[in-house]
Amino acid sequence: MKPKGLFYKAGFLSAAVFSCAVLSVGMRPTTASAIEIPKEVTEEGKNVYKKYCSACHGEEGAGDGPVSRSMIPKPRNFTRGAYKFRTTPSGSLPTDEDIYKTISYGVPNSTMIPWDILTEEQRASVVPVLKSFSEAFEFREPDAPVAIGLPLRPTERTILEGKKIYEEKLECWKCHGVEGRGDGPSAGEQEDDFGFPIKPFDFTTGKFKGGNSPSDVYLRFTTGLNGTPMPSFAKELSDEERWYLTHYVMSLVQSEECSKE
Amino acid sequence: MIRTVSLCIFVLFFCCDILYSKELVTEDAYTVIDVSDGGSITGHVTCTGDAGAPSLDMYAGWELSKPSQVVSEKIVINRLNNGVRNAVVSLSNIEKGKKGVVPSVHPVIDQQMGIFLPRVTAILAGTTIDLLNGDEELHNVHTKSVRNQPFNFGMSYKQRISKDFDYPETVKLSCDIHKEYAWIVVFSNPYFDVTDRSGYFEICDIPEGTYELRVWHEELGKQEKEVIIQARKRENIAFVYE
Ligand code: HEC
Ligand code: HEC
Repeated sequence: MKPKGLFYKAGFLSAAVFSCAVLSVGMRPTTASAIEIPKEVTEEGKNVYKKYCSACHGEEGAGDGPVSRSMIPKPRNFTRGAYKFRTTPSGSLPTDEDIYKTISYGVPNSTMIPWDILTEEQRASVVPVLKSFSEAFEFREPDAPVAIGLPLRPTERTILEGKKIYEEKLECWKCHGVEGRGDGPSAGEQEDDFGFPIKPFDFTTGKFKGGNSPSDVYLRFTTGLNGTPMPSFAKELSDEERWYLTHYVMSLVQSEECSKE
Repeated sequence: MIRTVSLCIFVLFFCCDILYSKELVTEDAYTVIDVSDGGSITGHVTCTGDAGAPSLDMYAGWELSKPSQVVSEKIVINRLNNGVRNAVVSLSNIEKGKKGVVPSVHPVIDQQMGIFLPRVTAILAGTTIDLLNGDEELHNVHTKSVRNQPFNFGMSYKQRISKDFDYPETVKLSCDIHKEYAWIVVFSNPYFDVTDRSGYFEICDIPEGTYELRVWHEELGKQEKEVIIQARKRENIAFVYE
């Protein structure tokens, strides 16, 4: 089934728009390679958490710190081990590196800043503290990260193929809207697993919460965002198709946003 | 053992904030014995009074194609005998009994015309369920379980996803796109049944003893009754929701 009016969408998307989107906005740091993430909770970690994180995420990590009240989106509740930004499959716990990356990169469009005022060691030290808030880490292991194939170069053809997936095969528009503004027919009244309202991401803003590089976007719809209605489409797409969809999704970023940067 | 204990603590602690989760989590400790001349329970779950009027969960108003505008029924009551369909009946405190058999043919939960079929599935821990999409449009299957690893997958037409449920837990399976849901109730022992369209259930091969028989329905709630089981005898139990 095809949504009415989908193909009347004005303007054809060019590869130029795409590359603009990619180049202009920050890349999520890809590795924490040099940094050693401790396995056990340390005094340093506890102190960093208490001083910098607990006001929002709460003493016990339940996302209920004193300043969290009127905040939307809510600070993450760590007690269930549901992390949005991962390299691991749907439902899996994140790897330590995933958590470290999120702390370093922050979450755009929320009060979670990139914690680059902390040293790398300090950022690494809180990882086991966050994990200690959820028993899930005691009886489950993170699954192996999903394999990302070699990136394809975006061309008009790959964007067009991606558009077909977005509009016909996987119907992302139902939540994200035909133009990617997060206003699809199913967008209203979405809730996260904690019962708080959540909106499908507005691609036109370009500030991807999980990072703006093609591989970040690829990972988001491949692994899904745990604890949210955003599903994993791992079972639906070949590696090639994932790049097509990545290219199309990134082409939805509005060029005005690009020139601002 | 330590693992089991920590699991229990974990479940006690975290189930509190998950709707319904704690309702039907049965005890983990279960020993398999030979049951040669066990007794059985047959019974009937009925609903009288106002709840008997069908409560319709309307989903309409969005500009989706016709099949998406579904009407699903949270409470299904047989007009002839007031029998309640889709109530889950179990022996909540049974510690030993027959060996449960994990079905080799996977139970199926299909999404058809936007709703999950069947709406309630009860299984033995270790069972694999096949999730299907029989609609020519996108659905998703999303669980928020704690003990069983949760998942959330987009499903296009004819997609089939197999998932294992290894721990006793009541799992809500939802489709966020259409705001529909179903229930998967996982037990650690084979003494359970789901009522049929007339509200009947049957549980057999129960060793002699006194047990708590529990019924749970997503809308009507939970009830318990004590039953005394005697060898080769059949007990008849009636549950009535007012
Ligand atoms: C001013 C409030 C605030 C402070 C302080 C804060 N956070 Fe956050 N944090 C948030 C919010 C809000 C989110 C959720 C953003 C979203 O989901 O869109 C979040 C999300 C996260 C996530 C996301 C996990 C995921 O993948 O889902 C991690 C990890 C995290 N915070 C760690 C930390 C750490 C570590 C600190 C301390 C160094 C910290 N935060 C301090 C508000 C805060
Ligand atoms: C059931 C509704 C739903 C469907 C269907 C859906 N999404 Fe989402 N998606 C969401 C929600 C809700 C979020 C935002 C979560 C948040 O803000 O934390 C999201 C977030 C995302 C993000 C992450 C953006 C970021 O901030 O990093 C990407 C990428 C994405 N979706 C792509 C897709 C693609 C591609 C499809 C189709 C294959 C799709 N989505 C289908 C609901 C949906």
